Amino acid sequence: MRRLLPILLLLLCGLTTEGQAATVHLSVAASLTNAFNELISAYQQQHPQTRLLPNYAASGALAKQISQGAPSDLFISANPKWMAYLVENSLIDLQQTWTLTSNSLVVVGAITHKLDSFTDLLKLQRIALGSPVSVPAGQYAKQALERSGLYAELEPRLIPAKNVRQALLYAERGEVDGAFVYRTDALLAQRAKILLEVPQSLYNEVTYPAALTRQGEQNPDAIAFAAFLKTDGALEILSEYGFVLHSLH
Amino acid sequence: MFELSPHDLFAITLSAQVATIATLLSLPVGFGLAWLLVFSRIPGKSFLDGLINLPLVLPPVVVGYLLLLTFGRNGWLGGVLSQFNIQLIFSWKGAVLASGLIGLPLMVRSIRIGMEQIDPHLLHAARTLGATNLGTLLTIVLPLSLPAMFSGATLSFARSLGEFGATMILVGNIPGQTQTIPLAIYDYSNTPGGETQALNLCLVSITLSYLVLLINEKTLRRVRSRQSV
Repeated sequence: MRRLLPILLLLLCGLTTEGQAATVHLSVAASLTNAFNELISAYQQQHPQTRLLPNYAASGALAKQISQGAPSDLFISANPKWMAYLVENSLIDLQQTWTLTSNSLVVVGAITHKLDSFTDLLKLQRIALGSPVSVPAGQYAKQALERSGLYAELEPRLIPAKNVRQALLYAERGEVDGAFVYRTDALLAQRAKILLEVPQSLYNEVTYPAALTRQGEQNPDAIAFAAFLKTDGALEILSEYGFVLHSLH
Repeated sequence: MFELSPHDLFAITLSAQVATIATLLSLPVGFGLAWLLVFSRIPGKSFLDGLINLPLVLPPVVVGYLLLLTFGRNGWLGGVLSQFNIQLIFSWKGAVLASGLIGLPLMVRSIRIGMEQIDPHLLHAARTLGATNLGTLLTIVLPLSLPAMFSGATLSFARSLGEFGATMILVGNIPGQTQTIPLAIYDYSNTPGGETQALNLCLVSITLSYLVLLINEKTLRRVRSRQSV
């Protein structure tokens, strides 16, 4: 073992130095997974020398990782709250943030349930949503339920899930009658259909803020990729997956 | 500042309840399976052994997902159970199933090691004195396996306390209903400013698990010293 140790250490050094060559670490909200995989391969066709390493997870988990010093050049959050958290902790410069895209909230379920209005949700026995404590989509859903005055009555029927995709899974499997998910997730569903568009007046606009981190500002490849995300080509790929940038600004 | 919300307290009680029931239910099952593996002459023993140990090495998410497919409203067993008005999905009983299954390999392992250490001469002696299979099981194998059963129970209890992946898929994360300690910690750790609450529950979790391991270690030591006498 003692003889092996220097070799192991050398190997370790080799691994770490190799990782520094033109690498961009991306921290991307999990709901963007499919769209970003395509964005990354599109970018890499033009820039084969750049290595893009995406890390897909819940926005909250990503923000926590970045605040604990995990390598990240670009952060894309599904929720302005987590971006604000990193700006407050001066890990991201407010000047660097922009709105990448937006999304909307729908209720999916088996086609047998017919919902004509938001109050028709009362017809459903079990409704899944992302856990409102930790999942942005769940927070928007809770907000819509509160604003419409249905929350108190529906609360016992709500099934909080780990994330939006798990809520979607419950709807797909027929374990719940309905599930609050993003429109983009609903488009990926096989069996569950969109039963209802949640009226925009009931919840805050779902925007995806993006920003270079303090680390990313120093990385020319990260800056180049951020610029690529603002091009029409990139926005077109996003819209193929249902992400449309509402021109509210 | 150490403060627990009503939901946190519920999560602690629920975790203890789920782990206790899961352990008590898996004790006889674990004993039976260990007996099959050690003493029986059934074919395909190594296949059975592998099957029992799968939950130990599989990602818990896989176990949870398969349980969801099986015991969900449209799953084949879920449909059967619902006729008897038993619903596992989104209920604490599902958490018992998930954590019991994940803890079972540890239980079987411990009991099996205990059984393998039983002196075969004792079994032969019992046979020659006219004891039946059941008699040998009850008067020799069971009493001599008791320490191993206890040790297996504490391990599987500790594992149940920490079960997260399978539980979350099968029963969701409903505060005040199915939210156990790990699920509550997960929620807090994904909330801005939830650090204190997450750490409080982590402290509870560490204390509980450490106590259980301490008890486990103590009984093992006692068993060993008795064997060496």
